[in-house]
Amino acid sequence: MNIKINTTGNRHDVVLDGRLDTTNADQFQKDVAPLMEGEAPEIEIDCSGMTYTSSQGLRIFLMLQKSVNARGGHMVMKNMTPQVKEVFDITGFSNIIKIV
Amino acid sequence: MSNLDLHGQAILSEYRQLAPVYTRLRELVPEFISRSLEEARVLVTAIESRVKTEKSLAGKLALKGSKYASILDITDIVGARVITFYSDDVDKISALVQKTFEVDWDNSVDKRKQHTIESFGYMSLHYVCRLPKALYSDSALPELNDVRFEIQMRTALQHVWANMYHDTGYKSGLEVPPEHLRMLNRLAGVLELADDEFSRVRASINDYRRKVQSLVSDGNFDEVSLSGDSFNSYLALAPFASLTAKIAAINQAEVQEVSLTPYLGALRLLGCETIGDVERLRTKYSDLAYRMAVHQIGQTDLDIISSSLALQNICIVCLVDRGGSVLELEKLFDAINGPSPYNASRARNIIDFIDKFRK
Repeated sequence: MNIKINTTGNRHDVVLDGRLDTTNADQFQKDVAPLMEGEAPEIEIDCSGMTYTSSQGLRIFLMLQKSVNARGGHMVMKNMTPQVKEVFDITGFSNIIKIV
Repeated sequence: MSNLDLHGQAILSEYRQLAPVYTRLRELVPEFISRSLEEARVLVTAIESRVKTEKSLAGKLALKGSKYASILDITDIVGARVITFYSDDVDKISALVQKTFEVDWDNSVDKRKQHTIESFGYMSLHYVCRLPKALYSDSALPELNDVRFEIQMRTALQHVWANMYHDTGYKSGLEVPPEHLRMLNRLAGVLELADDEFSRVRASINDYRRKVQSLVSDGNFDEVSLSGDSFNSYLALAPFASLTAKIAAINQAEVQEVSLTPYLGALRLLGCETIGDVERLRTKYSDLAYRMAVHQIGQTDLDIISSSLALQNICIVCLVDRGGSVLELEKLFDAINGPSPYNASRARNIIDFIDKFRK
């Protein structure tokens, strides 16, 4: 899983590439740690290159969403592949995280 | 200030000496009011406080300085104001103020009761108070517990009227033509009526909520129209908890609790008009919703689900069972998650999927 974060002020553009699973979830959590800081963050996550997310990945997205909500910000995930979108749909996570 | 007599100047000098006490009281009084409102869960529009300026005090002393023996006789140097949404909250706040501070009843006045049945005008409750030592004391500022201050309590509409009235300049001694005063007093009557109506509307909404809660908790679902209030009362009974637990057990999944309130629109789309309709939907489609989950997450190692999954699946299988079209299913997803370009393809896939697993 590769992650690129481009930050300008409180806006964070994140690009994910690859498979998010047990082998790299811990590293992914460390990579997104800077997004858990600062007031009213605006986070946009481009998932066009992400091929799969495991439960660990869902937990990290959930933690990020909660952190963003608590700080009065917004987070959206976009350009999901059908496989990744299906994971969010069949777990009910499409009801929790804004997907555009 | 130079036109003040010696007595007035002496009082002004006392005012300057007590300035730190006034400043501290201006901070403490709203703080204690705010704390007691919070404990009693009373919402207000604003709590304001101020210290009378030296210029304003000098003006007062020039007009009626002989009335006061010392600065301690002037009770409105520090003033706080609590502005409420509803007129009946003024009495609630007055009770809290009585509980929090020592009220000087001889100098307190309820302006609301000063009107005759034919008159309208300034409506506000003014309490002159002291800070009890038991509540707060500071050895560096012992006068904190001696200096009296004023707390005004009134509604937002009464506040607007009072400000407009002051704006006419009556306090500066300018003569306001009687016809204008009559217009202002007429407005006071209209605002009093509006205040009463706001209180009545609130009481009526609260009655409705209590009635709905009671009907829902007694299981009289068919008597309750589907609304935000009734749906929340129904959700308080955790009607989807057992199905959620059953679905979670498929993969021994953790359940992430989320609000089901966004499903109100989806249930309306499915034709639910009463809580009874929702309950029938739950009873009829729980098994199919569970089977859908078995065929979906049962074939994965996903071990976290949202608590909305049970109701999500119920809504989906219900629509498909009724022969709903792709477009209708897309609208259902729009209602649940908001419009998204994914919803159309998800609708197509779901219909194919449910057709297969039902066979």
